[in-house]
Amino acid sequence: MVRAALATKRRIGQGPKPLAGYLPAITVVVASLLSALPIVSTSGWYPDFGFLVLISWRLLRSDPWPAWWAAPLGLVNDLFTGFPVGFSVTLWSATMLALDLVDRRTMWRDYWIEWGLAAVLLAADEWLHWRIAALGGARVPFLAVVPALVISICVFPLSAWIVVRLDRWRLGR
Amino acid sequence: MAQARPGWSRRAQYGLFFSFLALIAGLLFGLILLGLSLLAPTKFQQIRGAALDVTGPIAASLHSVTSTVEGLATGAGDYWDAASQNGDLKRERTAMLRRMVEARAIFQENQQLKAVLQLRQHELQTIAVGRIVGSSFNSPRRFAILSAGTHDGVQVGMPVRSADGLVGRIIDAGAIASRVLLVSDRANIVPARLLRGGMPVISQGRGDGAIDVRPLEVGRNPFKRGDIIITSGTGGLYPPLVPIARVVKLNDDGAIALPLADPANISFAVVEPPYEPAAAATDSTSDKGSP
Repeated sequence: MVRAALATKRRIGQGPKPLAGYLPAITVVVASLLSALPIVSTSGWYPDFGFLVLISWRLLRSDPWPAWWAAPLGLVNDLFTGFPVGFSVTLWSATMLALDLVDRRTMWRDYWIEWGLAAVLLAADEWLHWRIAALGGARVPFLAVVPALVISICVFPLSAWIVVRLDRWRLGR
Repeated sequence: MAQARPGWSRRAQYGLFFSFLALIAGLLFGLILLGLSLLAPTKFQQIRGAALDVTGPIAASLHSVTSTVEGLATGAGDYWDAASQNGDLKRERTAMLRRMVEARAIFQENQQLKAVLQLRQHELQTIAVGRIVGSSFNSPRRFAILSAGTHDGVQVGMPVRSADGLVGRIIDAGAIASRVLLVSDRANIVPARLLRGGMPVISQGRGDGAIDVRPLEVGRNPFKRGDIIITSGTGGLYPPLVPIARVVKLNDDGAIALPLADPANISFAVVEPPYEPAAAATDSTSDKGSP
């Protein structure tokens, strides 16, 4: 029927959830708060949850939050995870800038390119961690942080999948 | 910033431009903060302490859940092979009893000798007792979160130990939670000695849960597998005679040891005052570069 074809699939009551605009930022803060879990890690091989969720959102959409929110979100992450204050502020702002540039240059994107981009960003994150730790008096061989990097690259698809589901839920699709 | 220009609306274009400026400002702000926290780590102590007070209680309340689950798993494991374990334990117990009698005799002799020499004995003081409720997850640094803070008298720089051995020292203190620099952190260097023979050694964390130990004097490698490393009390921060680690592997110029106080398994950690407060005060002013 013509009338049925014209009707939208959306049912009454479905639509963006309240606070849908703030949900991405809230999930990043929740991911930072995961560091309050009562897990005592002696090797430090867990991924940087806040950063992982941040890049998952940013690679999925160009507008999960105004770009400058990266700085306050990074400050929250620094305080909860115990990184040197300013580390995530800098890294996250730089990441937003870098991904804006990447968005202008790339003609098309697919899943492999996104995973590659995420791998590069996570590598930069781990390298900076290692560098800052060395400046703070804890110089370890770089090989010691490689397992953490491999694990976080492998966890990225999972985080991206969760973020896609959350995005569809918040927009009511 | 997704598209180069969001259509013809001036308002939208300006919005994007100012958001871009704010992002650059955020980046510069972050660089300044990072520089400050590297050069003057004490600058952010208040705010870091406040953040600890937010996360500390969450970790503490969830801690009981995970410890129950872990307890169930290991409790079931204990029933496995119980009969032969029982025999082993009985043999061990008789051996231990003999050693204990010897130790008592040595202790009495020691007290008499000390009385003769009129040595001043350091009283063991306890500032606070807390649980290790969390840790750093993903950086080369090894921190743990302790569920005791300035409210209980904990101050930055105090040594932390458990019944098994040395845990580390306090580096951030909130009102009800504090952050501990574990002995397995690369920046934590502990003056130590070998329990067997008393040779002075240096213990430094490896960042992966283990510890590097090196002899102070270059020469023959003095370590054997199974050697116990204890604190020497040099430097005045850590009390002497606290066990630190057990040697598991030898390498060229020293050995790799595992901490005796595994932060994942210790139930309670004790915060003590610095062993020689005056020495610790000069130490903390001299090593401001490392947080």
